[in-house]
Amino acid sequence: MNQNKPLRSTVGKKVIMAVSGIFLMLFLIVHLGGNLTMFAGSDLFNSYAHHLEGLGPLLWVAEAGLLAIFLFHVISAFQVVAEKKRARTDRYAVTASKGGPSKVTAASKSMIYTGIILLLFIPAHIWMFKFNGGEPHPVTEVHGTEMKDLYASVAEAFANPVVAFGYAAVMFLLGMHLRHGFWSSLQSLGAMAPKCSPLIYTVGFIFALLLAGGFLVLPLYFYFTQIGGAA
Amino acid sequence: MTAGAESILNAKIPEGSIQDKWKNHKAGIKLVAPANKRKYTVIVVGTGLAGGAAAASLGELGYNVLNFCIQDSPRRAHSVAAQGGINAAKNYQNDGDSVWRLFYDTVKGGDFRSREANVYRLAEVSANIIDQCVAAGVPFAREYGGTLANRSFGGAQVSRTFYARGQTGQQLLLGCYSALMRQVDEGRVKLYTRREMLDVVLVDGRARGITVRNLVTGEIESYAADAVCLATGGYSTVFFLSTNAVNSNATAAWRCYKKGAFFANPCYTQIHPTCLPQMGETQSKLTLMSESLRNDGRVWVPKKKGDDRPPHQIPEKERDYYLERKYPAFGNLVPRDIASRAAKAMCDDGFGVGPTGYAVYLDFGDAIKRLGKDMIRDRYGNLFAMYHEITDDDPYQTPMKIYPAPHYTMGGLWVDYNLMSTIQGLYVLGEANFSDHGANRLGASALMQGLADGYFVIPATIGDFLAEHRPDGLTTDHDAFRASRNEVDDAVKKLLSIKGNKTVRQYWWEVGRIMWNQVGMGRNEKGLQQAISDIKGLREDYWKNVKVGGSAEDLNKSLEFAGRVADFLELGELMARDALGREESCGGHFREEHQTPEGEALRHDDTFCHVAAWEFKGAGKDPVMHKESLEFENVHLAQRSYK
Amino acid sequence: MKFTIKMWRQEGPEIPGSFVEYSIDNVLPEMSFLEMLDNLNEEIIGRGEEPVAFDSDCREGICGMCGLVINGMAHGPKRACTTCELRMREFPDGAVITVEPFRAKGFPVIKDLVVDRGAFDRIIAAGGYVSVNTGSAPDGNAIPISKDIAEKAMDAAACIGCGACVAACPNASASLFTSAKISQLALLPQGHAERKQRALRMVEQMDREVFGNCSNHAECEAACPKSISIDNIARMRREYMKAMR
Repeated sequence: MNQNKPLRSTVGKKVIMAVSGIFLMLFLIVHLGGNLTMFAGSDLFNSYAHHLEGLGPLLWVAEAGLLAIFLFHVISAFQVVAEKKRARTDRYAVTASKGGPSKVTAASKSMIYTGIILLLFIPAHIWMFKFNGGEPHPVTEVHGTEMKDLYASVAEAFANPVVAFGYAAVMFLLGMHLRHGFWSSLQSLGAMAPKCSPLIYTVGFIFALLLAGGFLVLPLYFYFTQIGGAA
Repeated sequence: MTAGAESILNAKIPEGSIQDKWKNHKAGIKLVAPANKRKYTVIVVGTGLAGGAAAASLGELGYNVLNFCIQDSPRRAHSVAAQGGINAAKNYQNDGDSVWRLFYDTVKGGDFRSREANVYRLAEVSANIIDQCVAAGVPFAREYGGTLANRSFGGAQVSRTFYARGQTGQQLLLGCYSALMRQVDEGRVKLYTRREMLDVVLVDGRARGITVRNLVTGEIESYAADAVCLATGGYSTVFFLSTNAVNSNATAAWRCYKKGAFFANPCYTQIHPTCLPQMGETQSKLTLMSESLRNDGRVWVPKKKGDDRPPHQIPEKERDYYLERKYPAFGNLVPRDIASRAAKAMCDDGFGVGPTGYAVYLDFGDAIKRLGKDMIRDRYGNLFAMYHEITDDDPYQTPMKIYPAPHYTMGGLWVDYNLMSTIQGLYVLGEANFSDHGANRLGASALMQGLADGYFVIPATIGDFLAEHRPDGLTTDHDAFRASRNEVDDAVKKLLSIKGNKTVRQYWWEVGRIMWNQVGMGRNEKGLQQAISDIKGLREDYWKNVKVGGSAEDLNKSLEFAGRVADFLELGELMARDALGREESCGGHFREEHQTPEGEALRHDDTFCHVAAWEFKGAGKDPVMHKESLEFENVHLAQRSYK
Repeated sequence: MKFTIKMWRQEGPEIPGSFVEYSIDNVLPEMSFLEMLDNLNEEIIGRGEEPVAFDSDCREGICGMCGLVINGMAHGPKRACTTCELRMREFPDGAVITVEPFRAKGFPVIKDLVVDRGAFDRIIAAGGYVSVNTGSAPDGNAIPISKDIAEKAMDAAACIGCGACVAACPNASASLFTSAKISQLALLPQGHAERKQRALRMVEQMDREVFGNCSNHAECEAACPKSISIDNIARMRREYMKAMR
């Protein structure tokens, strides 16, 4: 059975999850890099976005690829959860962890929930920023080139406290997801030397902290710099 | 030594010099053609080292094997608990070891009460066992250069013991088990777990199958075959407290005895010197610490009687390292029987330590100084952890307290050189037979014997028998099987119907007390006679007053134990009878009336150089003893000395 | 000491079970958990009731036969410990102790606390061996194996097959068990000839037995009485990926 389709085995599914997860993390790093250009002012950010859009079909391919990777990640996640439900139909009356080497954390136990929230969040996020909620993007001119003023859209969106704090909260959950996900993906690929395992687990924590922190700072920055000001 | 001539026991020892016997025998054995092997069904009861190795090897040869075990998986057979190691005459250490020396040590260790030819064969195949186990992926300890590591073990002056940390038995068993599961996967072995053998079925005087109870459904099932191999282990649990597993029992062997298989040397029991002392009456078993501990640990008691200072407060000169004092050549490495008795003697004389006064110290202080804590942890880490776990004492800080405990039974069903019992077609392997260890087994030899029987002896010898007894299509519809099922069913129902007021466990505990006190480390005529009458009384009471919980139709531990204890109440008596009849001391059998002025075992070779094989004559009748005289052509009979 | 035991009782595989409360006195701190249950059963038999069925054999932590979930932890609260080695001194006097069977679809309950772990045997049968017939082995020292490799293989081989990993895993995954055997035989040169087929077949069988997937919680390692590391799971995945090619 699986011998012909090894990717459908439990190990195979974890490999898919891990590989797709790693791509998604790489994407997040790039995404964060782009976001952080906002701190260098609107022109740099808008030019960056303009440049990306200028890639045309290449961008579409990249976006389609990203979507596919994302779907792989999501589908295998749901499969893993389904397998879990199937594998223990009678639940324990009491459960407890013995601690020690256990890597059970709020983050590891809530992967599917943080994942689902991210899954719901992402279309909203794309709708909000890529499509500006269905409205045409404001336009600006940088060094004589006319382009979308995405910076303004972002600034405007995060002036709204619900959006700003909502975003920040989701980014915190993203951090939790990455806290287990980073380490877990390498473990799923068997990519660590046993000696590195504790180190990578710590690195995973720092990675999650930095990434979530980076994403989280932006909405809060825009919100707090605009209170009573631009509005 | 005249009994041999008229004895009905024919050991079928091959002709020739001792070095050639096995070789010649194999060369002359009849064979079953490869294509015909699958037409034969062989039942193997037990999945320990002997049973597991036999089932796997017979499966590999092409026989159709039915393999039974009492546990939920073959991997749990009690061989798993052996810790220290397995002997083999490899001479990898260049310390002068050889097949001859292993043979000699084993015969001497067994106090000259074993069959020379069997022991020589055991030593001969020992080297192949190691090769086989290594090939199967057993992770033996290695030297830095990548070669196999060895250590020395009780009763040996060479390092010939191979080991896998303190889990040698487990690793060897898992090696066997994996070979067995490979045969299961290939369909050559069919596995029946959670089955307890309750009867052997004879057709025309030949073993043709077994009756078992399915321990999950309670069903009485029977299975037919062309030969039956029994590898069901020893009977130390007759003592209630022993180092054996709680499910280890004598029932399969005992039921064979009652169907005509002679029981040989039942009084030869081994009391292992390095176990945790008893704590209380609620204990379910005693825990053994590998005797490899004696390689680095020094045994001592205070020189002053009743000295209750903590051990570290007793200065060096007030300690009596009695094994080193009494046996300077072997020191702490004397054979088990000697170490055990010495401990008992010290405690009986009032030098014992601990709350009960029945314990001696096993001290690693010097070894830790000499080798460092890390080296000691490397060698014995898991044993130290286990000790710490159970006693709450840290052996790195304070000496261990140890005391002997029943551990292994050298006696068992009588078998000839081919491992066939006095029932045609019934083979007995491993601890369940009596053959190789004489009156005392050397450390690290049980694993060797189990695997020798299973891997190398039975696959050769069973063919000789099967070639002469072609498959005849016998099924379990035969009357003999029906009768066996009814008999077993009646016995089960009877136990449940008594509904008395004493639980099975209480009886077990009582028979165990009688055995330990009268048929334990020291035995005498009066005590043995007392034991025989006490056991008889207890047995009668049992069948009137036992209370078995639950029903026959499902998993019922209480019922399982009820059958086993009923058998212990018969076996215990036979052990006492055998011990009473053997008016000498040898190996694990110590008759207080027969000792040297220094208190060592005193053999009487002129009258007792024989195997005592007991024949069942019917319920309520006295069993009859047959002698197989032991001829020593290669080893000079000598009083054992480890001084 | 004195305890109240909330005990899972279940008459058979298809019959729904429930908790029954027992109290037990005169427990000694040095008694093992199973000796405490033995004594409780003596009392239960004395009352003419059906004793609690539980598995055990060697009672020294090596056969892997025992296994209970005690207060929500496989083999109880102590780490690197089997149920039979667990002493009552680990519990405060007067405590209420909840005892359940290992719960997993792959380990159906037979009765009370006894479960069927035949799935583990079938996983081993799928490839947890070196295919070498008796009698065909080369000399034991023919292949040198470095001490380091032998030790690592031994670490993995220490598995007693008790199933605590499955019981403790939030997903009821058998990955630690399966990987320990794959690891042992992947480390040793003897196992190399069939390593690909072994990894594929054993994982396939593991999946067929309806165990869950591994989400790298490492709860198995925490529960393992032999402290088998999840590094073995990583090694199993490497072996599997090599075999996929």
